[in-house]
Amino acid sequence: MENLLELKKVEAFVQHYHILHDISFEVPKGEVTVLLGRNGAGKTTTLRTIMGLNRVSKGSISFKGESIVGRTTFDIANSGIGYVPEDQGIFGGLTVGENLRVAMKKEDEKTTERLEWILELFPDLKKFWKKEGGQLSGGQKQMLSIARAYVNENDLLLIDEPSKGLAPIMVDKVTESIQQMKEQTTIVLVEQNFMMASQIGTRFYIIDDGVTVHSGAMDELKEDKQSMKKYLGIS
Amino acid sequence: MNLRRVETSTWIYLAISFLLIFIPFIVTGRSMQFIFIQIFIFAIFAMSYDILLGFTGIISFGHVMFFGIGAYSTAVTLGRMDATIGSFVLGAIIALVIAAIVSLIVGALTLRLKSHFYAMLTLALAGLFLVLAEKWRSVTGGNDGFTFSLPEFFRDSETMYWFSLLSMVLIFFGLRRFTRSPFGRVLMAIRENENRTESLGFQVTYYKVLASVVAGVVASFAGVLYALSLRFVNTAVFATDLTIDVLLMTIIGGVGTLIGPIVGAGLVEFAHHWLSGLADVHWIFERWIILYGIVYVLVVIFFPLGIVGTIQSKFMNRPVRALRTNRKSDGKKENRKGA
Amino acid sequence: MELFISLVINGLATGMLIFLLAAGLTLIFGLMSVLNFAHGGLFIWGAYTGVWVFQMTNSFTLGIVAAILIGLLLGLVTERLVIRPVYGNHMQQILITLGFMLVLQELIKVAFGPDQKAVFPPDFLAGSFMVGDIVLIKYRLFIIAVGILVFVIASLILKKSRIGLIVRAGVMDKEMVQALGINIKLVFMLVFMTGAGLAALSGILHAVYSGVIYAEMGLEFSILAFIVVVIGGMGSFPGSLFAAILVGLAQAFMAYYVPALSLAVNMLLMTIVLIFRPQGLFQVKG
Repeated sequence: MENLLELKKVEAFVQHYHILHDISFEVPKGEVTVLLGRNGAGKTTTLRTIMGLNRVSKGSISFKGESIVGRTTFDIANSGIGYVPEDQGIFGGLTVGENLRVAMKKEDEKTTERLEWILELFPDLKKFWKKEGGQLSGGQKQMLSIARAYVNENDLLLIDEPSKGLAPIMVDKVTESIQQMKEQTTIVLVEQNFMMASQIGTRFYIIDDGVTVHSGAMDELKEDKQSMKKYLGIS
Repeated sequence: MNLRRVETSTWIYLAISFLLIFIPFIVTGRSMQFIFIQIFIFAIFAMSYDILLGFTGIISFGHVMFFGIGAYSTAVTLGRMDATIGSFVLGAIIALVIAAIVSLIVGALTLRLKSHFYAMLTLALAGLFLVLAEKWRSVTGGNDGFTFSLPEFFRDSETMYWFSLLSMVLIFFGLRRFTRSPFGRVLMAIRENENRTESLGFQVTYYKVLASVVAGVVASFAGVLYALSLRFVNTAVFATDLTIDVLLMTIIGGVGTLIGPIVGAGLVEFAHHWLSGLADVHWIFERWIILYGIVYVLVVIFFPLGIVGTIQSKFMNRPVRALRTNRKSDGKKENRKGA
Repeated sequence: MELFISLVINGLATGMLIFLLAAGLTLIFGLMSVLNFAHGGLFIWGAYTGVWVFQMTNSFTLGIVAAILIGLLLGLVTERLVIRPVYGNHMQQILITLGFMLVLQELIKVAFGPDQKAVFPPDFLAGSFMVGDIVLIKYRLFIIAVGILVFVIASLILKKSRIGLIVRAGVMDKEMVQALGINIKLVFMLVFMTGAGLAALSGILHAVYSGVIYAEMGLEFSILAFIVVVIGGMGSFPGSLFAAILVGLAQAFMAYYVPALSLAVNMLLMTIVLIFRPQGLFQVKG
């Protein structure tokens, strides 16, 4: 199967700190690849580095067969990557509708269709269409951020810890929505919530201290108690 | 480990200072001596600015207010009392005390905020001082200012020269010592990374405020000398132009080097003198600020380290004086002199 | 009462001119965190070029058009040559734009001569009329109208158009805007040019208002614009209008009642704001 995204021996710094030492993974088209690991292992930094928000100091990142290292963030985004950051990146002073409008590159039929589809998935967004982003609840912000990444026809979505800080019922809701989206898009998911990750993911990579140390099919990991304990602290 | 080099540079500076002592015997013209005096005074002023900009990373747009405070304190004291050394000393003390108090207040108010707030508030206050000097006619003589007589001791141009030179040299070595002290190290740490310094447990604001007080007091002393050298004071000592001048001197010479501002002061004063002199040749030289401005812009873009900084980093193989020492400890015990 | 109204009108007219000047400055700060001390340079270039064209062609409208054009052009040059090399470095920005300010100011003297120039309003805006006992000076009303018009148009753009939304979004979180595939530098350039155009417009309008122009106005107005932006809250567009009117009114009333303090009133206002509300009167939402 063709790899949509491929990282090879990527190293990156955040300011002066060497955070990523050796990140290598492959994201096959049509799958959900989950990045697991402890807090501070470098998962968020990995996503940011893919988006061009951190500079790659060594290694290569290719998307759809082309290198995206050194390209600007907006260029990378335009080549077909949607990004849902850890803090959701909602524009607090803009309404829900305006947040989505900033994201929509085109206003053609297809985009409108996608918008309608995602609004059906997240009826809350429709309900609070004119509410300012800053006044939404955590779960609503998460939905808005996912919707914003989804409205454009992207080939790949990078979603950073969508379950973070959400009530269990919201986690279920978000899980369900991502499950629906994975029918249409390839997804890279960073997740601490193992339950959620194991429900959605097809394949996993474990990042530890800036290095991809372990990988395999999601189903295997559930059985692999040793790795779970060693890298994730789950027993 | 760099002890030897520091020794060398100290000897070089002392030798140059020694040579400068003899300038008045070679250059006997009063106007030329006056240029040198101005250079020494502005070098002091620029060094004080370097403490802020170069060593602590604070931008001030109103540094001229301390200069003006110094000039007016001296002038008013000398103008109202007998022209004696005693009055001069009293005037200078008043100058330094007022400058210390004002800088303490301004610093305490704004240095906890983001950098441009200090810049703006100092700018605003310098403006207020300018207005005060214009309006408080009974004391300041308004826009036109006033002349006053000097104590016998300073009447001689040569004496004024030596006194300014001595002041500059002493202040240079004093400030150099200050910047290399543990306190100065913390200032540089703040310049490099304020948050990190804060998280190491330093009260960043306290250090910044004290740095601004030192800078204010030294600038005030430059103002004292300035009034002495002119025997006259007017509102020009509070003008924003002077802040800009001193900014240019510091930048062109090299921020964070102390010697740079002295070089910058020399260059700018000479360029000023020389280019205005060329005004008779072609009118464009009347607009020498253009040249000056362009050079300055280019320096900021291409040689942000300034003349001295660039020389130090390129030819002397000395890294820019960034903080590279002890990140881990409290920075007080481990500092080595001249590292 | 008549006095009060005429002082208010004075204040509003001055305030609108200051608003035109400060609006661009606050947006470029909000968007790219750029501190531009050369803003007053664009202002005087607008003033001198506009006045020159106005006096050559005898058409005030052409003068205004010329001012705006030179503003846009200089804005482009400034952004490309001066601002771009020092993105992300406040200290360098402050230092370099200040230097460029001086260059712009001196170039005025080269191009138009170093002396002050007198400027008279066009015939159709000269003079005044009476409403009851109140003398209304036409040109002041004109300035107020222009100011309101610009504010309304700019607000509509910022509220309704996608580019306006992008600008506002960029002020809040520029990283995210880029992650959504928007070239923020291009957006910033457009905003910068627009701001420069508005500053130049303010320049020509102010030239006719005050009746005299001189090169040193550049630095004075750079500083004034900054004061207003700080008072209004750096990055806040409505804040810049509010602060500009506040400063305008304060100037008008102080000039009448406490002339000794009129020069200091801006500084006083800013000092008070910095002490009690350092984030400015309007704060930008993150």
